[in-house]
Amino acid sequence: MELSVLQQYGPMLLRGFGITVFCWLAGTVLSMALGLMIALAQRYGPRWLNWLLRAYIEVIRGTPFLVQLFVLYYGGPLVGLRLDALPAGLLGLTVYGSPYFAEIFRSGFGAVPHGQIEAARAVGIPEPSIVRRILLPLALVSALPALVNFSIILTKETVILSIITVPELMYQTQRMSTETFRYLEANFVLALFFWGLVETISRLGRRLEARVTRHIERG
Amino acid sequence: MTQAASVDMTRINKFYGPFQALRDVSLHIPPGKVTCLIGPSGSGKSTLLRCINFLERYDAGEIRIDGQLIGYDTPGGRLMSGRRLREMRRDIGMVFQQFNLWPHMTALQNVAEGLERVRGLPRAEAEAQARAALDKVGLGDKTANHPARLSGGQQQRVAIARAIAMQPRVMLFDEPTSALDPELVGEVLAVMKQLAAEGMTMVVVTHEMGFAAHVADRVAFMERGELVAAGTPAEIFANPRDERIRAFLHSYHERNAFEV
Ligand SMILES: Nc1ncnc2c1ncn2[C@@H]1O[C@H](COP(=O)(O)OP(=O)(O)OP(=O)(O)O)[C@@H](O)[C@H]1O
Ligand SMILES: [Mg+2]
Repeated sequence: MELSVLQQYGPMLLRGFGITVFCWLAGTVLSMALGLMIALAQRYGPRWLNWLLRAYIEVIRGTPFLVQLFVLYYGGPLVGLRLDALPAGLLGLTVYGSPYFAEIFRSGFGAVPHGQIEAARAVGIPEPSIVRRILLPLALVSALPALVNFSIILTKETVILSIITVPELMYQTQRMSTETFRYLEANFVLALFFWGLVETISRLGRRLEARVTRHIERG
Repeated sequence: MTQAASVDMTRINKFYGPFQALRDVSLHIPPGKVTCLIGPSGSGKSTLLRCINFLERYDAGEIRIDGQLIGYDTPGGRLMSGRRLREMRRDIGMVFQQFNLWPHMTALQNVAEGLERVRGLPRAEAEAQARAALDKVGLGDKTANHPARLSGGQQQRVAIARAIAMQPRVMLFDEPTSALDPELVGEVLAVMKQLAAEGMTMVVVTHEMGFAAHVADRVAFMERGELVAAGTPAEIFANPRDERIRAFLHSYHERNAFEV
């Protein structure tokens, strides 16, 4: 391996990694938020909306991210949706991730014992407060491992943004390898950065999990 | 204490699909008295109790809390608004078999939550009243504990404090001691007796025949969704006229008798 190419390409790769982290973070936050709204709408909305969202979930989960991104970026302009690469990438990640997060939240809601919701109703607490103060916190605690897990999966989906020219890490390493023919080094760098990112997320996730469950489980 | 309320149920019917869980149940719950609901498993005791605060929707009949219809705008009419239902529920405390405390909140927060969200009290005032309610059930020193750090008996007493802090006019109990280890039953029953002595209207679904016999003012016996009889403990326990009650008590005594 010839790591000296990294001297020349280092700053570019770092910038690429920065964009990768940004895309991952923004994509995760946005798709999680959209997923939560979907799950809440399915739980509290009218039945027709539930069906519509069910269909959305199935379609998005049933198609590859690559295809979705192509349709959005290259097909979007045909219907007047003209986006730059980065916003298109973030929108794509949001759409792609939201159904998975919606399902995670749905099962999190299901894990909250119905009696605890009934107890709140019996006290006369209004439904929005029940959601905010009781349903959501408890659902989040039980869904946390799955949320972290899917966030980790999303880190690696960001590489697909390179095909619509978002200058993230994959895009930069590909550029480096086509310019220098250093494929091995390029992939080494790619793997190393992703491993570091994933390791950090899963550590943070475990810390958070220990923190939020400390009162709930007997110990 | 705020004025104790009466509960009047008239010809209550309740269906789960084709299955009829309550058949024409009529029962008067006098104010300031303890009424125990007894009967075999599956007879509809919980269903009836849960209809009183409309956690369960009754299909026909009327339930009135101090004369005010709960659940519907008019008998057999439209469902009442959520806001109106919540207003009525403020007056009706409920205690569940499984406690149903909110596990992410301390004992104090569990009790203060309703005072803040329903009565609209400021945090400090809500916590002061919550502390007083916990003191009353003998848990003034456990306010900072989460439910996981409380025994079953203590959890159930927090649940009672959560209900009485709202200053209800009726209290509903659904087998409040059935999930407890035998040695923890006494502390919960003691709190309930204290409440009864203060003149709270109480409706208690129970398998504790001792409590029903000694604390209840009235006992109602249910079977297969029907109210078979209601009367004083003496009338129900000492010389039950109905064969079904005799059979129930007989099997109860058999289960609870032991030889040394
Ligand atoms: N949600 C439901 N769906 C269908 N049937 C139900 C439902 N809840 C209760 N039932 C049925 O209604 C009947 C009365 O149930 P209920 O829980 O009121 O009995 P119970 O007298 O409280 O019994 P237990 O002493 O075991 O608590 C039972 O046959 C039960 O199977
Ligand atoms: Mg029951």
